[in-house]
Amino acid sequence: MSVTSSVTSAPAPPGGPDAVARAAGRLAEAGASGVPCAPVRDLLGTDVEAAYAVQHRLTSARLAEGARITGRKIGITSPAVQAQFGIDTPDYGTLFADMAVPDGDEIPYGAVCQPRAEAEVALVLDADLTHERHTVADLLRATAFALPAIEIVGSRIRDWDIELADTVADNASAGRYVLGTRPVPLDALDLRLAGMVLERRGTQVSTGAGAACLGNPLHAALWLADTLARLGHPLRAGDTVLTGALGPVVPVAPGDALEARVDGLGTVRVAFAPAPEGADGDGDDPNSAEGATR
Amino acid sequence: MSELPGTAEQGREGTAADEEVARLAARLDEAALAGRTVPRLTDAVRLDVPAAYRVQRALVERRLARGERLAGVKMGFTSRAKMAQMGVDDVIYGLLTDAMAVEDGGTLDVSALAHPRIEPEVAFLIGTPPGGGPSSPLSPADVERALAGVAVAWEVLDSRYDGFSFTLPDVVADNASAAAFGVGRWLPADGLDPRTLGMVLELDGRTAAVGSSAAVLGDPVRSLIAAARLAEEAGTPLLPGQVVLAGAATAAVALPPGTHARVTAAGLGRVEVTAR
Repeated sequence: MSVTSSVTSAPAPPGGPDAVARAAGRLAEAGASGVPCAPVRDLLGTDVEAAYAVQHRLTSARLAEGARITGRKIGITSPAVQAQFGIDTPDYGTLFADMAVPDGDEIPYGAVCQPRAEAEVALVLDADLTHERHTVADLLRATAFALPAIEIVGSRIRDWDIELADTVADNASAGRYVLGTRPVPLDALDLRLAGMVLERRGTQVSTGAGAACLGNPLHAALWLADTLARLGHPLRAGDTVLTGALGPVVPVAPGDALEARVDGLGTVRVAFAPAPEGADGDGDDPNSAEGATR
Repeated sequence: MSELPGTAEQGREGTAADEEVARLAARLDEAALAGRTVPRLTDAVRLDVPAAYRVQRALVERRLARGERLAGVKMGFTSRAKMAQMGVDDVIYGLLTDAMAVEDGGTLDVSALAHPRIEPEVAFLIGTPPGGGPSSPLSPADVERALAGVAVAWEVLDSRYDGFSFTLPDVVADNASAAAFGVGRWLPADGLDPRTLGMVLELDGRTAAVGSSAAVLGDPVRSLIAAARLAEEAGTPLLPGQVVLAGAATAAVALPPGTHARVTAAGLGRVEVTAR
């Protein structure tokens, strides 16, 4: 089940000994310029361990700049998407304070490369999860409350042309996240059967339920808790965990407004600033995922 | 029979005469009885939607003549994706008979079906005649008064057409692919917000589909209001004791013989059936 065990026999990255540094450099440049880059799998091959090394290197760089970690996100939690990537585990990325958007706020134009949105359940912890293997009881005791969330994923890789190593290296395609504002204790929820609807400009674009996220969003959180503890940077009190999509991910474009409703958790909203005058409106616009390959 | 949809169209070019309606209904009915499929009706005849509803009614009349009883209606094309796929902007409906109903935990003989598919649904039980024709759609208060209960449900679809392939008039004529249904325990509708219920379809205990009742027109109650409208329009208003299957929360999943299926909905419990 571990992210790393499945790749121990993978060949050395084709990019040579400095493949990790070069992949990190490529992604960092794309992030800084807002211009998506080529995939990094030419450097990393299928080596997921190396991909996480890239991610961790970029995380360290952000921390060195003074960024604050606010939690983690779990990706690739649906069987359909796992099949697409040829894996049977999720992946994870790191959330930073500057990724958090208040409920109902507007995300500036160009803030996220090729944005797409998904509705999720967020868990906020009030205890560390440091065991090698956690139980649901550990997780329930460590969770202060749940919130509805919209995650804006974005890819720094051109046209979302990603394989597993690409998205893992790119911080699991994390972009922004929006949390609802009414905390709900877990004893009031059946997360497996929590229905979800996501609307874009008032029109329904995605539906689902908690069961779509590894059977239950709590299962995804357990996987994350075990994985991070094993890697030596466990989940901590105060961390937010975005547990994974409850339904299909949808592209968003400048000017869009989104609202997600998760049964029992309420609603959460976010808007995207319209394109400025003269902005490139064709399908290559890195500020829109509309033209991306789907 | 005189107030069937499409009656006004009778005699107009391209619409079906009574004899033709009866002939098409017989073709579909006999295919269903024999458990085989037929080519699409529209491959051979011109059929518009009002005429297709007349074929549907004639098809169901044949079932009633064999002693079956009307049990309610089922709604189709209630998801945005399905409407877009079919190029339509309104829902369709089909008629349910008591012979299609399977008790909770019972078995469904799928050997007589061509290509059965199952989907999770929300069902409404009519308590008092709701009215709600095209000129006076049901208000939320009307809905509350008319409803006797709400339940989790499954529906098995089975198209009588080759390859489960059809145009809009074809599927209307084929009674909206209705084949069988089952409902769980009826629960009082008041106090339940049915808009975003999580729904899970399991086959042999494994999750096969996950969705939300919001996939049904954004709110299954909208489907109920449309059902009342279409039923009034057809001259066969919804009656107390009838069931309205509001529409699917997920895409339909193939149901092979020997499979146990269970649908669970938040707050509504579960309902199950075994295919044999």
